[in-house]
Amino acid sequence: MIYQILKEAWISISAYKLRTFLTMLGILIGVAAVVMMVSAGQTVQNEITKTFDAMGTNLILIGPGETVKGGVRGGRGKPTVTFADMDSLKGLKDVEAVSYVVNTAVQAVFGANNYGVSVYGTTPDYLTVGNWEIEQGQMFTERDLKSGKPYVVIGQTVVNELFGLQNPVGKVIRLKSQPFTVIGVLKEKGDGMMGDDQDNIVLMPATTLRQRLHSGFRPDFANIGFVKAVSEDKMEAVANRIEYQLRARHRLKEGVDNDFSARLMTDMVEKVRNVGFILSALLAAIASISLVVGSIGIMNMMLVSVTERTREIGTRKALGAPNRWIMFQFLSESVLISFMGSFVGMIVGVVLSQIGGIILEKEVPISVWSVIISVAVAVVVGVVSGLMPALKAMKLDPIEALRYQ
Amino acid sequence: MTEKLQQSSDRHQIVIEVKNLCKTYFMAGGLSQNVLKNISFQIKNGEFVSIMGHSGSGKSTLMNILGCLDRPTSGDYFLDGENVAQKDDTALAHIRGEKIGFVFQNFNLLMKRTIADNVSLPLIYRNVGETERRERAVKMLQQVGLTGYEERLPTQISGGMQQRVAIARALINNPAILFADEPTGNLDTQTSDEIMRLFCQLNRQGITVVLVTHEDDVADYAPRMIKISDGRKEFDGLRADYVKTVQKEQK
Ligand SMILES: Nc1ncnc2c1ncn2[C@@H]1O[C@H](COP(=O)(O)OP(=O)(O)O)[C@@H](O)[C@H]1O
Ligand SMILES: [Mg+2]
Repeated sequence: MIYQILKEAWISISAYKLRTFLTMLGILIGVAAVVMMVSAGQTVQNEITKTFDAMGTNLILIGPGETVKGGVRGGRGKPTVTFADMDSLKGLKDVEAVSYVVNTAVQAVFGANNYGVSVYGTTPDYLTVGNWEIEQGQMFTERDLKSGKPYVVIGQTVVNELFGLQNPVGKVIRLKSQPFTVIGVLKEKGDGMMGDDQDNIVLMPATTLRQRLHSGFRPDFANIGFVKAVSEDKMEAVANRIEYQLRARHRLKEGVDNDFSARLMTDMVEKVRNVGFILSALLAAIASISLVVGSIGIMNMMLVSVTERTREIGTRKALGAPNRWIMFQFLSESVLISFMGSFVGMIVGVVLSQIGGIILEKEVPISVWSVIISVAVAVVVGVVSGLMPALKAMKLDPIEALRYQ
Repeated sequence: MTEKLQQSSDRHQIVIEVKNLCKTYFMAGGLSQNVLKNISFQIKNGEFVSIMGHSGSGKSTLMNILGCLDRPTSGDYFLDGENVAQKDDTALAHIRGEKIGFVFQNFNLLMKRTIADNVSLPLIYRNVGETERRERAVKMLQQVGLTGYEERLPTQISGGMQQRVAIARALINNPAILFADEPTGNLDTQTSDEIMRLFCQLNRQGITVVLVTHEDDVADYAPRMIKISDGRKEFDGLRADYVKTVQKEQK
């Protein structure tokens, strides 16, 4: 019986090709828009995850505390964690590596070339916590750090801008007119989350940066510290130990807020991912307004169709069609229309988002959500928009219907 | 020809019996109109009956009740021995599909469907498969003299042919009775005669035919006549007797 109903429904809607197509178009555009928005949202989330993964896993970030003025929490304050504070964390249980960074931005000069670079004064373990690898040459050592050697390890962008095709290892570059010997080159990382160039980087021992690039007296404060836990499930415990240790070193009395912060990278990733999820849900919600419009289109078309086909309905009833048969026939017509619209819309949405991915050079996932959304839309929209017209058709009195001109 | 007709081919079996049938239309403002008043009669298997009367006398109302498209306000209607007067919509739809063939004044074909599809349409509601539907449609079209027109659309054939298609459609379920409400009302005289001869031919094959008309020429084809006047049964008997009485009165 279902087959018969579907077939009758199919024949009826294919009798009005243009009208059916235009009605379908509403749903098609709606589903395509939703699928594209969902793909966009997922792409953003994936990119975020990728970037955080590239920054290293199991990380705890140590930074300044929040400023509190008159009970109101403000932004981040001045750095409060010293190099010595960070070094003291190395001995804590379940800590794999500790590093920290003081940074500045200067012009780097080699021969006739010069380029604005980010300079990171750091420790050898920065490679571990920052997920960097050495492509050529080597990283500076703990001894170089202690003695403040003028050594630098540079990123690919710096290599390209200053050296072109020359081998940079062993060459001397100038930062603020001071000479630094290039002892290593970092492997390329690509663009960061915000489209920033992560490879435009110059690493040197933190002591060297303090002595040679910072003018005037400043204590050895780290702008940011990194502690890598041995595993993800140990992060919470490590963070607690860090807090205990730093509070002791800073002689903070009980009841006094931390003058530093220790945040788990995983929490931050989660937060950013949540923002990404909410964003894509919001986009999809906006796009689904077009689905509502499409749905109204189907309802309108079906109502017109029921009125136009009043005589047909009367005839079918006179020939023995039960009321529910008539209802299901009209319901099937709207479900078929919305089904075809959703199906084509899904394909269009996937294809367009892939094309978008190619143009923006981003990997766009083809998600099961596209399929789930399309099927759900097909059924829900079809039934919701078709029910009222179908009930109207069902309730028609056959005698009245047959008299209808 | 058919199982059912052979089964009930007993010429004396009563297929239709109405007793004290009344129909009142209730209109807005509390007004009501008694359209059928205490109508009773029987129709036996294999009869050919015309229902006559002036326009507005209640013929169509009676026909719709007989055809199970409508229910009487009061009274009984036995169809094939079963009282169907107060059955619900679903039951009536089932009876229409099983026992009744209906032919309308304006044919009521589905204009976008082929002749064969139109003829086999009632079978869909009885879950008959596609191949069998097709076979039976071809057979029915042959009976009404339209072999070769299966794939045409209703718009491509004449009015007389369209009415033949409608008759084939009405007969495809092997109904106990064929009802026709002014079947020649939209046809010219010559085509009317052709259609009436088809009804006669079907009646000779054993099909019970009940026909509504207000034209004497058409009523002449049916041996028996029931005349309705202002909602009451005015005459019920042989058409020939009625004609004689009228002729006498005119003299
Ligand atoms: N649905 C209805 N509501 C109210 N009055 C009706 C309705 N259908 C028919 N009538 C009235 O009933 C009377 C008989 O109508 P009908 O049976 O169609 O007559 P006929 O077919 O003999 O011309 C007419 O006066 C008509 O106006
Ligand atoms: Mg009438």
